[in-house]
Amino acid sequence: MKQVKETEPFETAWDRWKETRQLLDETQVLLNDPDPSMRLMASEEYALLKDQATELLQSTFPTLLVPQSTTSHLSALLELKSGVGGQEAGLFVGEMLRMYQRLASDKGWKVDIIAKNDNDDGGVKDAIVEVKGAGAYDALRYESGVHRVQRVPATDSKGRVHTSAVAVLVMPLVEENDKQGEELFTMDEIKLEVMRARGAGGQHVNKTESAVRLTHIPTGITVSMQDERSQHQNRRRAFQVLRSRLLDQKIQKDMAARRATRLNLVSSADRSDKIRTYNFAQERVTDHRIGLTLMNLSSVMEGDGLLDFIEALQKHQNETEMEEMLANDID
Amino acid sequence: MQSALLVQLAKSLGKRQASLELRWMRRAIDSSHSGIPLDEMVSRRATGEPLQYILGTQPFGPLNLLTRPPVLIPRPETEHWALMFADRVAAMAADTPSHRRLKLLDLGTGTGCLPLLLAHTVPQGKLDTHAVDISQHALRLANENAALCGIPSQSASKNTFRTYLADFLANDFPGPSLASALPIDVLVSNPPYIPDNEKLPESVLNYEDPKALFGGPSGLDYYHGIARLLMRPGLFSTNAVVALEVGHKQADIVEALLRDTGRKTTVCLDPWGVKRAVIGYM
Repeated sequence: MKQVKETEPFETAWDRWKETRQLLDETQVLLNDPDPSMRLMASEEYALLKDQATELLQSTFPTLLVPQSTTSHLSALLELKSGVGGQEAGLFVGEMLRMYQRLASDKGWKVDIIAKNDNDDGGVKDAIVEVKGAGAYDALRYESGVHRVQRVPATDSKGRVHTSAVAVLVMPLVEENDKQGEELFTMDEIKLEVMRARGAGGQHVNKTESAVRLTHIPTGITVSMQDERSQHQNRRRAFQVLRSRLLDQKIQKDMAARRATRLNLVSSADRSDKIRTYNFAQERVTDHRIGLTLMNLSSVMEGDGLLDFIEALQKHQNETEMEEMLANDID
Repeated sequence: MQSALLVQLAKSLGKRQASLELRWMRRAIDSSHSGIPLDEMVSRRATGEPLQYILGTQPFGPLNLLTRPPVLIPRPETEHWALMFADRVAAMAADTPSHRRLKLLDLGTGTGCLPLLLAHTVPQGKLDTHAVDISQHALRLANENAALCGIPSQSASKNTFRTYLADFLANDFPGPSLASALPIDVLVSNPPYIPDNEKLPESVLNYEDPKALFGGPSGLDYYHGIARLLMRPGLFSTNAVVALEVGHKQADIVEALLRDTGRKTTVCLDPWGVKRAVIGYM
């Protein structure tokens, strides 16, 4: 049933193509009609049909060849971590958080910061953000990787340019009642720990101890959550992050397998690779994967410049997938 | 300014806990759930006042409950077993005929956390909860919490919550006012269980109601009282289930008490691995 639904667009396009071809043939005959008014009508009709046929050939068919995204309905879980560069990196995590929040509000996605560790000096050590809305994962997934910032820190009296880095990981968000989440792990693969001893506990103690840590034993993934006052709430959040990490792992594995079967040796960017540079002195943002540079850093941080990158990356991805397919066919 | 507050708080709580609590205080102010200035919150907390009384709330499972001195603050250990027990009561409700509603009695309800969580979780229209306490303060707070959670005192289509001022160790308990709560299908209680002479942290001892904490020389007075109630004819339905929270060394004794009333028992561990609740069933 699913297959029928997926091939429907192909059928529709093919039917339209056949119909257009037939009409073209019929109209061609009329181009030599003895009646001048008939000839005129036919030539107008013929031009129109020709445009339609060209459109089908050049645009409709190629887009049908790119496989439909299976993740297009998913929301995203965004993890930001300050890397090298100390205080500067932490400050840039805060700025990137605002950048993604702005993009989300433009797109009509709902943003919820579910975990955040602040540095003492005002920056952000790390944060996990839920971005809810259809298409959020597909739009944000190519943000995964290392983002590099080059600028003179406010604190540097000598005015030297520092380079620091922020690691971004974008994962698909798995809703609590999503069937997809259930297949990712079983409860006996989970070790659940609470932080610290509590002595006698119960009525003896009224200190809030709500932090929890989950370990998924087969993969060794651990998730700690302490932001909420309720242990129950922290446990729910931790399971949500775990499901996202596991689904992310599964998607990465599937992609690697697909690439391997296509005998394509062009590897995609590793997550430890530097993917983008924000150079404040030059007002420049460069995405190293597609070689795209925007000479308007503030529009990336505060306007719709980020969207330009996201759209270019999506287009690049579609084209790459198509080339991979064609290369495969030739083999 | 912020870091000075953090230092002040870290002296009494340690750095990790201090930065978490400072964030929760700030969050309560930002969401205008509290009109208390941050520096006042910090100095009150630094002198030992429980965070839950300063913020005025405590999450309990999916509920957010009001907390006010001296009513006992709901503990995470209680939240943990109550959520597990709620599944059991929901299953019982599913097994009862469609026209029948289960009757639940909570002895020493405090904030109302146990019956309110159960009334919230069990399928609607299947459970009437009756909450007893010896403290007027507690009953007033419990009724405010019921209103906050949207649980009515009377309803044909929804689960309900009602309160009764009573001493459940008294000879005349339950008395005529509780007639509508009988026969009881589910009995729950987090009775006072701390032995009288036991040392407690100041944030507990100086702020929470001793009547909600101390259970006699061994801490077991209330369990003996509950066991006596369980033996009385006419109070309980034949398949009644009992769930009692216990102190960290009391599970075995309370299990024995419940077995003497003819019940089988199971024990729930809390998240720290302590035997925290004893369930008795026929």
